[in-house]
Amino acid sequence: MTDDTATRPAPRSHDALSPFELGLARFLENRLAVASAVVVVLFVAAAIFAPWVAPHDPDEADLFRRLQPPAWLGGEWAHPLGCDGLGRDIVSRLVYGSRVSILVGVLVVAIATAVGILAGLAAGYLGGLVDRLVSGLVDVLLGFPYLIFAIGLMAMMGPGFQNIILALVYKEWVVPCRIVRGETLVARELEYVEAARSLGASGRHIMLREILPNIVSPVVVVATVRIAQVIILEASLSFLGLGVQPPTASWGSMVADGREFLIDAWWVSTFPGLAILVLVLAINIVSQGLRDAFDPRIQA
Amino acid sequence: MTVNRSRRRLAIVIASTAMIGSFAVPGIASELRVGFSQDGQTLDPANHRNRETETILRNMCDGLLTRDASMKVVPEIAESYRQVDPQTWEFKIRDGVRFHSGTPLTATDVKFTFDRLTKESALGGQTSPRKSLLGPLAGVDVVDARTVRFRLSAPWAILPAMLPFQELVSKDFVEKNGDAALATKEDCAGPFKLVEWRRGDAVIMERDPNYYGGATDIPPVGPAKVDRVIFKIIPENASRVAALLAGEVDIVNELPASAIKQVEASDRAKVMSVNGTRTFFLSINGAKKPFDDIRVRKALNHAVDRKLIIDKILAGRATPLNGVMSPDAFGFAADLPEYAYDPALAKKLLADAGHPNGLELTIDTTAAFKPTAEAIAAIMARSGIKANVQIWEGAVLSPMWAAADKRKDRDLYLASWGNGALDPADIMVPTLKTGGRGNSAGYSNAEVDKLLDAAETEVDQAERADMYRKAQKQVNADAPWVFLWLPQDLYGVSKRLKGWQPSADSRINLHDASVD
Amino acid sequence: MSLSRLLERLLGLIPVLLGVSVIVFLMISLTPGDPVEIMLGDSRATPEQIAALRHDMGLDRSAMERFLVFLWNAVHGDFGLSFFHRRPVIDVLAERLPATIELTLVSLVLALVIAIPLGVVAAVRKNSWIDRIATVGSLLGVSLPGFWFGILLILFFGVHLGWLPISGRIGYSSEVHSVTGFLLVDTLIAGRPASFLDAAAHILMPALTLALPMAAILMRVTRSSMLEVLRADYVLFAEAKGLTRARVIGRHALKNALIPTVTVAALETGSLLGGNMIVETVFGWPGIGRLVVEAIFNRNFPLVQASVLLYAVTYVLLNFVADLLYVLLNPRVRL
Repeated sequence: MTDDTATRPAPRSHDALSPFELGLARFLENRLAVASAVVVVLFVAAAIFAPWVAPHDPDEADLFRRLQPPAWLGGEWAHPLGCDGLGRDIVSRLVYGSRVSILVGVLVVAIATAVGILAGLAAGYLGGLVDRLVSGLVDVLLGFPYLIFAIGLMAMMGPGFQNIILALVYKEWVVPCRIVRGETLVARELEYVEAARSLGASGRHIMLREILPNIVSPVVVVATVRIAQVIILEASLSFLGLGVQPPTASWGSMVADGREFLIDAWWVSTFPGLAILVLVLAINIVSQGLRDAFDPRIQA
Repeated sequence: MTVNRSRRRLAIVIASTAMIGSFAVPGIASELRVGFSQDGQTLDPANHRNRETETILRNMCDGLLTRDASMKVVPEIAESYRQVDPQTWEFKIRDGVRFHSGTPLTATDVKFTFDRLTKESALGGQTSPRKSLLGPLAGVDVVDARTVRFRLSAPWAILPAMLPFQELVSKDFVEKNGDAALATKEDCAGPFKLVEWRRGDAVIMERDPNYYGGATDIPPVGPAKVDRVIFKIIPENASRVAALLAGEVDIVNELPASAIKQVEASDRAKVMSVNGTRTFFLSINGAKKPFDDIRVRKALNHAVDRKLIIDKILAGRATPLNGVMSPDAFGFAADLPEYAYDPALAKKLLADAGHPNGLELTIDTTAAFKPTAEAIAAIMARSGIKANVQIWEGAVLSPMWAAADKRKDRDLYLASWGNGALDPADIMVPTLKTGGRGNSAGYSNAEVDKLLDAAETEVDQAERADMYRKAQKQVNADAPWVFLWLPQDLYGVSKRLKGWQPSADSRINLHDASVD
Repeated sequence: MSLSRLLERLLGLIPVLLGVSVIVFLMISLTPGDPVEIMLGDSRATPEQIAALRHDMGLDRSAMERFLVFLWNAVHGDFGLSFFHRRPVIDVLAERLPATIELTLVSLVLALVIAIPLGVVAAVRKNSWIDRIATVGSLLGVSLPGFWFGILLILFFGVHLGWLPISGRIGYSSEVHSVTGFLLVDTLIAGRPASFLDAAAHILMPALTLALPMAAILMRVTRSSMLEVLRADYVLFAEAKGLTRARVIGRHALKNALIPTVTVAALETGSLLGGNMIVETVFGWPGIGRLVVEAIFNRNFPLVQASVLLYAVTYVLLNFVADLLYVLLNPRVRL
């Protein structure tokens, strides 16, 4: 996304407040963003403490409870949001499913961002052959439609959680790489890098200690958006029959499996769909709040 | 969910009120639409191996023989047929049959059609993928303009059962336009002729007023009832069902069992079903311990509550099986002993086999059968069997289970095998004969092999049926599979549709269908 | 833009296409699954029959040989026969391409129409309730799995209200005389406004499903670039000159603020093209996305190779268009 890679001014002067503190203060003023952050934290907490939060074993099937409606529609309070096509408790599957969905999102983006930063720094700072190789690879990967690539990889590597992660990382690292490369190209010519270089700092030191801290904030902002994207992508893989292995629940697989019941048992896919909606929305709002708060271009 | 009939589609409202009234093509009186799960791959009847393609083609292209609703093979373009000797069959062709282009259909066209199917590189350099459906067919000889003889290189009793899979094409058309033209155009003799094939979207056909009338054994005989037929391609189940409920289509195929309730609740549609031809089973990897032990295989059979799963997951729309054959098939053995659901017995058998604490195993399957596999796993748990379900892509799974060295670490495979011909030769030989293409269990029993081989060339039908029954009995006793069920093929059908019935071979023949 | 620069850009296509071909081929060679087995399905087949089919598909050659033959033929514009359609891949793709392009373009326009006004208003009235609603509203679009949102649309507008057709490109009583392959254009050329409306009704739901996520991104870009522009000296100067705010925004700010929006839109069109396979499945839209997914699952190698190359070319060209737009809109930049 070009708006992230656009030219940025030199690093800010260090006033009374550090840029981080300034940004944080601004972020906290944004009530919507703070509320969204709370939502995200709640979801993450539910995922971490799933065994204590979930009322039932998420994988325990009981065909006699097949498609049991939510409690207020004639179900029972033991299964407040009803049961799915195999009679499994939807609340419990939602809670455990958040583990998979959030883990996929965070893990993929974390790995992809790390790889992307390293590749981007190297390409942008070292230039020459390294740059051409990395940029060439980025171009080739971007030339692939995302889903085709993921489907192809999944077909090649077979099913499995780690393969989902891998397939998604393969493409995700490209975005941070592009951003970092662009930013690095600009930063390389700036005074503070020149200064470090004239003091005899090593290339590694300059890349990791001088440039990286100054360009990391747009990368982080983009990363939060990508988490949301990856959660949706995992759902898309489930739709194509390439999601997590049963009986593990992910929100994506719950929505995908439940879509056949949408008319007469809407709750099976609607609640996980809402869960995705709320979490992704919250992540996006937080991310936008972060951008507004931390992006120097928008500072008054 | 009910749909208000008075609320018409936005576009139509606007079209009929504000716009020029030439929206509909004039003269179209009745139109029948099928919401269909897959587009045809080609219109060349010889150049595919795909059930959906055949279903679409069959409305435009008749064959020598066809099947009636009870799956009996009857003459269609053939007037009669007889076996001259074990390796020769003679077919008399009806008089006055014309292709859609008007060319008369003669014995030369029949020979041409089957030469394309059986001769190497006969389709403009490609070999027909349907060749193996014609077994030992060596050639077709023209006797006179209305008589042909099929020469076999070995006796083959099921030739008539296999002929409904082939449709006749016009020699004249192919000679004028080339083989490649048949891929997107047709010149057949069938109740409907092609108007337009919008690739990936729809196949539009219209009635051929000069149609010869179709099989005399399947009344009514005469041109088709509806003016136009449209196969509208809607791959996603949920959308296909929605199209039926919205009145956009009149028939949908592959209605998911989960949609039965909502279709029946609708005021404009209903569910129709027919016993299918696809047998479901759990292949047990008999070469791997502990599954080489017959007690373990029997325990697995006793550990699955087929009736409960049929009732809950398949909405009651399946027939439990104790063997491989459909009850409608030739040579079905009706007296096979049942492995009744009995967790206590399953546990005991496992304990006898040295597994008092139960077993842990993995069931392999594809995404489409995930709910079934999960339900089986949940029920097996009650017999002390911890079953994990692993989902694979179909293209990966079947070759993996086809080769002994690739499946050596696998346990169970929720598989199925279609038997459109409803004849044991087409399902028992590939799935249960030693080394068969679909013998995923690695089953090998010399007695069964012998029976299957002998039945293959046996001319006496009663004798042949008997051999197959013996083979089924042996298979049932050896339990190479967990025997499961034969699902019904489900269709959602609009209430305005008349004169149509689903057919076990999954064809949607619209010759006799009409709409109010 | 100079001619040499253009030429350089086009030459840059070659390594990308080569790289994409290599990766696709590696994927194909390493992926288990045999198209012959898939084609034969549940049936008996003799080894000779299997061998004949393998020969037809060229699978009796080594992977390296196949790759070189593929490259050689591809350079000559021959991408082979689709394994299952048994026709030239080029024909199969060409028949489906207009549907995908039409859906993509309509989605793009829809996304821009939603995103630009919302983004501008959100920026001008930063932190107002309208900003909040626009932000949250646009984010809703990017927060739902497309297939699920699509099915919900179908159930509501198609089944419950019965307003919009559920699948396909146009009704079957509308005759189509293909000129461009784009039904919205063809129906107008043929002078059939009713058919045009019919086609428009068909494309609305799939286009909306595709457009919303993109609109969210574009709205965000518009908002932030607008905010930036509004602080720029020349805008402040214009305001100081006493021009009305509306005039300042409309005349000066908007034009500059739209540069990133348009560039991002051009870039994102690529992902729109790639992401529509799910929407095409849900709405029975006869485009290439669905075709490609089927091709992968069926191991229809020639079709996979050709379509991936097609996507890659499109991507490179879109990048090129993005650059071009950037220059055209922003005369200060010289490439």
